[in-house]
Amino acid sequence: MNVLEVKHVIKILGKKEVVRGVSFEVERGQLLAILGPSGCGKTTTLRMIAGLEVPDYGEIWIDGALASRNQKIVMSQKERHIGMVFQDLALWPHMTVYKNIEFGLKTIGLTRAERQKKIEAVLDKVNMKKYANEYPARLSGGQQQLIAIARAIVTEPKLLLMDEPLSNIDVQLRDDIRKEIKRIQQETGITTVYVTHDQEDAFLLADKIAVMNEGVVEQIDSPEEIYFSPGSLFVANFIGESNTIPARIVDRDKVVTPWGELSCKTNGHERGDAFLFFRPHQVQIEQNGFYEGVIMKQEFIGGRYRYYIGIPQGEIKCYNQKIYRIGELVRFSIKEAKLLFS
Amino acid sequence: MQKKLTLGFFFALFLFTTFLPIVWMFGSSLSEDGGFSFVYYRDIFLTQRYVRVILNSLILATITTALSSLAGIPAGFFLAKTNLPLKNVFKICFLIPFIIPSYIVGIAWANLLGRTGFLNTLLSHYTPLSPESISNFMYSLYGASFILSINLFPVVMLMTEYALKNINPRLEESGLIAGSIFQVVRQITLPLIAPAILSSMMIVFILSLSEFGIPSLLQVNVLTTQIFTQFSAFYNEKAATAIAFPLIAITIMLMIVEQVYFRGKSFEILGRRASHGTIRYQERWLTVIGILFCTFIFILCVVVPLTTLMVGSKTVSAYYDAFNLAKNGIKNTILYGSLGATFLTVVGFFLGYLSEKVQSKLRNSIAPFIWLFFAVPATVIGVGLIKVCNRPEGIFQFIYGSLWIIILGYGARFLPLSSRIMANYFKQISNSTEEAGIVMGASWFRILKKIVVPLQGYGIVAAWLISFIFCVGELGTTILVYPPGHETLPITLFTVMVNSPADIVSALSLIIVGMTLLPLGIFLAISRYFLTMEAKVSRVLR
Repeated sequence: MNVLEVKHVIKILGKKEVVRGVSFEVERGQLLAILGPSGCGKTTTLRMIAGLEVPDYGEIWIDGALASRNQKIVMSQKERHIGMVFQDLALWPHMTVYKNIEFGLKTIGLTRAERQKKIEAVLDKVNMKKYANEYPARLSGGQQQLIAIARAIVTEPKLLLMDEPLSNIDVQLRDDIRKEIKRIQQETGITTVYVTHDQEDAFLLADKIAVMNEGVVEQIDSPEEIYFSPGSLFVANFIGESNTIPARIVDRDKVVTPWGELSCKTNGHERGDAFLFFRPHQVQIEQNGFYEGVIMKQEFIGGRYRYYIGIPQGEIKCYNQKIYRIGELVRFSIKEAKLLFS
Repeated sequence: MQKKLTLGFFFALFLFTTFLPIVWMFGSSLSEDGGFSFVYYRDIFLTQRYVRVILNSLILATITTALSSLAGIPAGFFLAKTNLPLKNVFKICFLIPFIIPSYIVGIAWANLLGRTGFLNTLLSHYTPLSPESISNFMYSLYGASFILSINLFPVVMLMTEYALKNINPRLEESGLIAGSIFQVVRQITLPLIAPAILSSMMIVFILSLSEFGIPSLLQVNVLTTQIFTQFSAFYNEKAATAIAFPLIAITIMLMIVEQVYFRGKSFEILGRRASHGTIRYQERWLTVIGILFCTFIFILCVVVPLTTLMVGSKTVSAYYDAFNLAKNGIKNTILYGSLGATFLTVVGFFLGYLSEKVQSKLRNSIAPFIWLFFAVPATVIGVGLIKVCNRPEGIFQFIYGSLWIIILGYGARFLPLSSRIMANYFKQISNSTEEAGIVMGASWFRILKKIVVPLQGYGIVAAWLISFIFCVGELGTTILVYPPGHETLPITLFTVMVNSPADIVSALSLIIVGMTLLPLGIFLAISRYFLTMEAKVSRVLR
């Protein structure tokens, strides 16, 4: 059962189409991360789901009901029943933690006793019970973060939206808060859309990742799929370290590379330009390797080296624990490679 | 829906108080005997006398701008860039001539340099100048420019100081490594803040063009006083309107230039507000010059006028008489000032919200559009309001004959100001604080009540106090529109000036000074409290 369905949504801001036909769905209890560089339209997409922006085209369905179709808003904010954590958290500085959390509960019309029970429960969940009567300004960045999450989930929304919630947090704290988010999300089983430009966030938190670029979803898959089988050249280059070598398809399952002709799955293509893609760890330097190159550069990255091997048309990256001299001729083989189309 | 209706209502209110009177007035000045006609305009532009009046206005504005810059730019520099002792005291004192009504300073200096004035006697005794020539200087365009500069130089000073504090210090540091202070100031600092300075000069120019109090006090014939005379002495409102036309045309043109060209540019160069501090020049000699300069200005603008008034009021009985004379005026001023300030704050709140927080194509055009109306001279607004409200039917007659026409006048004059103040405070609050409430499904009124208004607390108080200060001193519009029995203190002052002893005039002036400085004091006192609050809040509103 999908809690959220986004269908062919388009948003034009000014004259620019910032979201260009985005579609995806999120199953109940799942966490979908929308990952992409800044300005790719991910936040705009999130704001359209929240109802803070009106889409220009397309449909948004929340829990099986139509929320908006084209420029028509069908569901009001209240009916959407969404929780949201903002990038700057947007805690109200003039209200105590308790009052901050209480605001949404009042909106849905709970009695005083019910509200108190829920607030205590949610503060317990985020381990912040003793801070109920503090003002947000007296809390640390990480604690503010947890309060923002508590405020968003206290009403038990159908959908939790998070807009880069970790971007203002110190690097050391990030890891802890990330674990907390993961724990809270799993314990509450709340369906979540998490917007981030940070791969680590996406990989550690998400059940599924949607990679966005220039207003388009390039690929939606599990983190593993995204990493090992990127669907496009952009995804391959954006996620992790990668090698992409220009190649030309000459026949079905036959490409020409800088090292000559190779057989490789071409997905039915018989002609055209493509790229051969493989990760650095899929390259192995070995004596009876299939290809030849010269070590151009060596970087120590803790526990191993990153080598740049010069080949006839550029260079490729690989990791190795052994030491090779710069200028040394080495042989290597590529364990697995894939064709990508730009 | 709540939001749209509310904002729409207040925008309509703004149009009604500010926009409608002026448009109405111009519309009617173009008709004669029921037909379209340029007859009043022709009279103006073809009469030598009016050309002279226009020239007078321009001369007044030009000299005032020059003098204000001569005082304001160095003062701003010393405040922002040196180790001037008692910096905050100086700064607050320099605000006084801007805060108290301009004509008060005029009255003081006129006392001093008038035929029997203390300084006149002194000067005519020790210099070849005759008492008449000194007094004539005071009651001339030049005297008026001098007084007006005292009133308006704080504008240049504040904008210079602000601009200087917002320069990225790295830009100057990189210059100081290679060159002298003189080089850095001339080649780096000044070019960087030039747009801000030019912009402030333009504002001073516009404000001097629309000034009524001082020219009227010193009997200088300029456009604003001419409008008043045409209207109240000759009952020729169409001619009054026609005279207003060149004034409004010039000011609006300048205002547009200021908005489009300078405002944009100064932001572009200064960039984001620098959080990395300001370079202060430690040189001794610079501090000494700063002290001398600021003390000189302080004496000229604050000490001399206020002491003159105090000495002029002579005895306690003068205050007693003044109070008796102005009892009604004082009561009215406090009441109307409070009502006016409340009206200005409420409408200004929503206008400020509209211009800062509403996403629409209109948004960028609304803010400068509202600001334009600050340039409209008080007398023009007065004539326009009478034009709109002086009609027999229903609500208009009610407004015309009551205190509400004064409140509307305050609204028309100062809404641009109060909405600007609110807009600046709105700018500091991130949209997400409101969106967090929207997402939870709260109604707009609830969000206003629980989130926006509390977060704006300081802005609201500031807007109210500043509006109150301006309302208390308002003369140009009130003098035209006030119904019998509804006179405010400035009106009382202007009426008694002709036939009352000087000590009572001085005492009355000081009462007005007190009534404007008291809110300033409150403002400063609470701003201290709010500043610490703000520092806390800003930790949350990253």
